[in-house]
Amino acid sequence: MVSLFGVNFHEAKLVQKALQHFYALGPQTATRIMAKHSIHPRAKIGTLSPKTVTALTAELSTMVIESDARKIIQDNIKRLRDMGTYRGRRHAMNLPVRGQRTRNQNMTAIKLNRVERKG
Amino acid sequence: MSATNCLRCLSRPSVSRGVVVPVFAPTRTAAAFSTTAVQNAMPSKAKSAENQDRSVKVYRAGRKMTIKKKSTTDRGKPPGPGERKAFRKKIVLSNDNALPVPWVPEMEAGSLSDPKQVGKIVSLPATLQDQLRATEAFQPTQTWGLFRKPSTLVREESVQLMGKMEKAVADKTTARIVLTGEKISGKSTMLLQAQSHAYLNGWIVIHLPDAQELTNGSTEYSPIPNTENPTLYMQQNYCLKLLQSIKKSNEKILAKLLSVSSHSELPQNITVNQPLLSLINAAKEAEGAWPVFQALWSELNAPAAANRPPILLSLDNLPHIMKPSAYRSSAFEPIHSHDLSLVKLFVDALSGNTRFPSGGAVIAATNRNNGPRIPSMELALKQRLAAQKGEEVERKDPYFKGYDERVERVLRSVEVLEVNRIGKREARSLMEYWAASGLLRTTVDEQTVSEKWTLGGGGVLGEMERAALLTMRV
Repeated sequence: MVSLFGVNFHEAKLVQKALQHFYALGPQTATRIMAKHSIHPRAKIGTLSPKTVTALTAELSTMVIESDARKIIQDNIKRLRDMGTYRGRRHAMNLPVRGQRTRNQNMTAIKLNRVERKG
Repeated sequence: MSATNCLRCLSRPSVSRGVVVPVFAPTRTAAAFSTTAVQNAMPSKAKSAENQDRSVKVYRAGRKMTIKKKSTTDRGKPPGPGERKAFRKKIVLSNDNALPVPWVPEMEAGSLSDPKQVGKIVSLPATLQDQLRATEAFQPTQTWGLFRKPSTLVREESVQLMGKMEKAVADKTTARIVLTGEKISGKSTMLLQAQSHAYLNGWIVIHLPDAQELTNGSTEYSPIPNTENPTLYMQQNYCLKLLQSIKKSNEKILAKLLSVSSHSELPQNITVNQPLLSLINAAKEAEGAWPVFQALWSELNAPAAANRPPILLSLDNLPHIMKPSAYRSSAFEPIHSHDLSLVKLFVDALSGNTRFPSGGAVIAATNRNNGPRIPSMELALKQRLAAQKGEEVERKDPYFKGYDERVERVLRSVEVLEVNRIGKREARSLMEYWAASGLLRTTVDEQTVSEKWTLGGGGVLGEMERAALLTMRV
């Protein structure tokens, strides 16, 4: 197991996938980070040197990912709610925000849209 | 045609009901607003006593449908990590079920360069087999595994190629050759023959078995310190693998050659007059592999080393190193393949920038299977070929933007050797060998040779093998 930014990954995990595991870190950012540290696209996390792993962790700690990124989204929704906007209201009611119908097919909105949105 | 439903009451003839009561038939109704027929709503009281006593209501009568759970089949242990690849890359060089062919001679130093040998089959000696195995010259897609002993056909092109190599050694120059030709026409086998010739004549052979491995982003890379404009990149792990294969295949020669300069920068200090084998042995880990390889290369090309054996540098799947690689620089720019140090080393030799002091050859083979389309390379090879034949040289398309100047610069003065279709005479001797091995179960006469030759696209060797050996038709 390799610990990257406080998360343990199996050695056989691709570095790209391991990076994308973090919230608000997608394929684009992941490839850029890898290029910055000269990690080849098919590298497994077990093959990285401890130095590189430390450098990656240091890099990730400067980025807005995981709880910080979630906090930003929650703040944005909270702002809408506090202003008393329609969008804020819809978030609070766990209903679609952007004019979608609510008769059918609104499970995703019901699941996700809330003031304390999880992700 | 009559309707399946009764148009009055919507009942279907297939549904069995106790009594079919038409809606408009005069019936006794239980309630004023009910439209249910009485017979259906209230079953008649004249039923058995059992029915009345039953206190538990039965909602579903009849058999219940039960779904059997699928029994899990035991699929056995899945293959371990790397096992599948090892199986895919497995190279089998002999088949005990095939008949030995006593009249096939073993390959000797001059077998492949002798014009009298054209159209003859020669077998590879055991030591040579080990050397070729070490450099990964055999490919799993080739048909070595069908015969008792690996053997190869001496073709006209082989003699031409070996002739060029020998001439280069005699003149102490470097022959720079690109092998082209149709799909499965034998370009890689021609490389194998070139290597065999080199090994048997005491050359030093460095073979890069698959250019794709260098550029498709599957091995570790890192920038070489103190290189700018452009930054060069080393591939440590690949380098270590290459050094080991060089060591394994050229052990005897490298043990005799002594270093001409000292290399204090290496982890293991190498002084003057130490065998080059100990220089290679200095590379224990991937970390130090590139400096060691660089030191070895400078030793081999040192001007003081003019009396050393000639060098053969060869590479298969050329198009893969003629394009931007899958690697990215730290600024997220794609790295051109020619900025990878190992590729640069090969490309410098191919373009004529590096000259081997005691002569030698640089041979690259193109590939048609999964090779990317490189317009510059295709055009350059066409131009060289036309120039060699004395025909009109094709010009660049002025409106096309996809040319790569770096590629053009490399291929500006190479020699192109086309690996063509084989003639009927060569085809016949090859088929006689197949028949003698017990793999072709027909008499080899004019007609069968002609048949297989035609089926094989007019003498494309791989296609002939497909038509004659790899089909189940007997």
